[in-house]
Amino acid sequence: MSPNNPSTIVSDAVARHHTHVVSPHQCCSAVVQEIAAPVSTVWSVVRRFDNPQAYKHFVKSCHVILGDGDVGTLREVRVISGLPAAVSTERLDVLDDERHVIGFSMVGGDHRLSNYRSVTILHPRSATDTVVVESYVVDVPAGNTTEDTRVFVDTILRCNLQSLAKFAENLTNKLHQR
Amino acid sequence: MAGICCGVVGESGETSSSSIEPTSRPSARRSLDLLPLRYIAADVSVPAPENSRKRQKLDRCVSSARECENAVQSSKSKVAKAVRNRSSKILTLDSTSPTVYEGCLRYGVTSVCGRRRDMEDAVSVRPSFCQENLSQDDKKEFHFFAVFDGHGCSHVATMCKERLHEIVKEEIHKAKENLEWESTMKKCFARMDEEVLRWSQNNETPNCRCELQTPHCDAVGSTAVVAVVTPEKIIVANCGDSRAVLCRNKVAVPLSDDHKPDRPDELLRIQAAGGRVIYWDRPRVLGVLAMSRAIGDNYLKPYVISEPEVTVTERSDKDECLILGSDGLWDTVQNDTACKVVRMCLNAQKPASPVKEMAVDCSDKSCSDASILLTKLALVRQSSDNVSVVVVDLWRDQSMATTKGIN
Repeated sequence: MSPNNPSTIVSDAVARHHTHVVSPHQCCSAVVQEIAAPVSTVWSVVRRFDNPQAYKHFVKSCHVILGDGDVGTLREVRVISGLPAAVSTERLDVLDDERHVIGFSMVGGDHRLSNYRSVTILHPRSATDTVVVESYVVDVPAGNTTEDTRVFVDTILRCNLQSLAKFAENLTNKLHQR
Repeated sequence: MAGICCGVVGESGETSSSSIEPTSRPSARRSLDLLPLRYIAADVSVPAPENSRKRQKLDRCVSSARECENAVQSSKSKVAKAVRNRSSKILTLDSTSPTVYEGCLRYGVTSVCGRRRDMEDAVSVRPSFCQENLSQDDKKEFHFFAVFDGHGCSHVATMCKERLHEIVKEEIHKAKENLEWESTMKKCFARMDEEVLRWSQNNETPNCRCELQTPHCDAVGSTAVVAVVTPEKIIVANCGDSRAVLCRNKVAVPLSDDHKPDRPDELLRIQAAGGRVIYWDRPRVLGVLAMSRAIGDNYLKPYVISEPEVTVTERSDKDECLILGSDGLWDTVQNDTACKVVRMCLNAQKPASPVKEMAVDCSDKSCSDASILLTKLALVRQSSDNVSVVVVDLWRDQSMATTKGIN
């Protein structure tokens, strides 16, 4: 699948990362966010696999349990209270600093998102604007529908990307003030 | 006190794996040391009633919440000199004492971390927080009790604890003689929600010292169940799934209705707003939040709203007690059972002698004991959440009010 955002020009090499193999009983979707900040600023936040709580509101804390930030790194994410999960163990699958691509999968935890894999790609739309696309594929849990699963995950991702936008824009403003 | 435990277990028809020990203070402390649970001494601030008191500086951090201790802390009400033995017709009033606060209710508070890792509940008790001066001799005292069950983090519940009673007081004074409780409380909750939103949008360095380091905490919220007790009425405003229950003539009367996403009218409201309720592990708004109303949680508006449901109940001579609790209590303890426990505590603590001091201590202690016992009952029944309980003894105050009327 590819996002149908006309403002986004996706090269073949980059689009390949958004192509997920979707099995029966799985669903996929993508969330798009425009950010008024340079791609380098946004990327400096997104690429920190060891510090997702910088912009992900639902992350309470994060501990790297294996690796040093390269592909193969494992982290254990503790989720804030009130959500239907407490812990998620995640593996860094893709980290491409040149093309601004990062991807991870959920390999454990007490959530119901089995075989979750996501890829986030940053597209520079101008010198001061970035488009972020996060796409994912995940099993549909027993008892829920594809639509249920998509609504749930999209809500989380949309909230994450909106706070990423605020955070990166704040960062840009602070850099300009110095 | 053993009779209380036997009565509770017998009536519930369960055989508990661990016995509920008597809740006298020394043995309660001893038994708590044996429990593998971690308790936190909740910072329940109860300032002296004082209209001219300077507004408290907002402390956005509950530092004590990060330090769990093996201790239960209960707050006792201010000691009122006027005391009446339940079985006695004699009312003793020491009218010459300058520290007498007539109409001050007796209450007990317990708030524990329980099995959760973090403490995100908050309790606010403000006796005589607001006065209605009708004449020189006739002062109506209003009392404020509230339980806030935070989620995502503790700072929204903490802000509510620090600010909501002040907002209520301001709105009561604004309304003057045209006080209409439902619209007043709705305005108060809207103002509280706006303050939370402004705080989360503030780009300054956050004061919250929790692990969340971002000031953009859209995913934090809190329930709020508020009771304002006046000489004539009990006003309850509820938003979320905490609860207020009145014990009247031995019967449990709910004064609030939990805002769960699958409550039929809440489900319809959410769907009409374009949202969805998804059963993930339980009914959740967009699959995320397990309550349909809350202070904060900006990212889920307009599906999760902060508008309270308000009930106004005329007080009666048959009123025995009022219980406020978070869902950590009500998920495992039914309304009827809670009322029975509290009634037994209030009736059991009869003074051994007619000495005033002894009677006062016993009557205050009974509310604290009741709140502790309810908390322990919830934990024994495997509650997996923070537990916060407020118990208000309504009986004596009503008698005093009645007697004043006669005079």
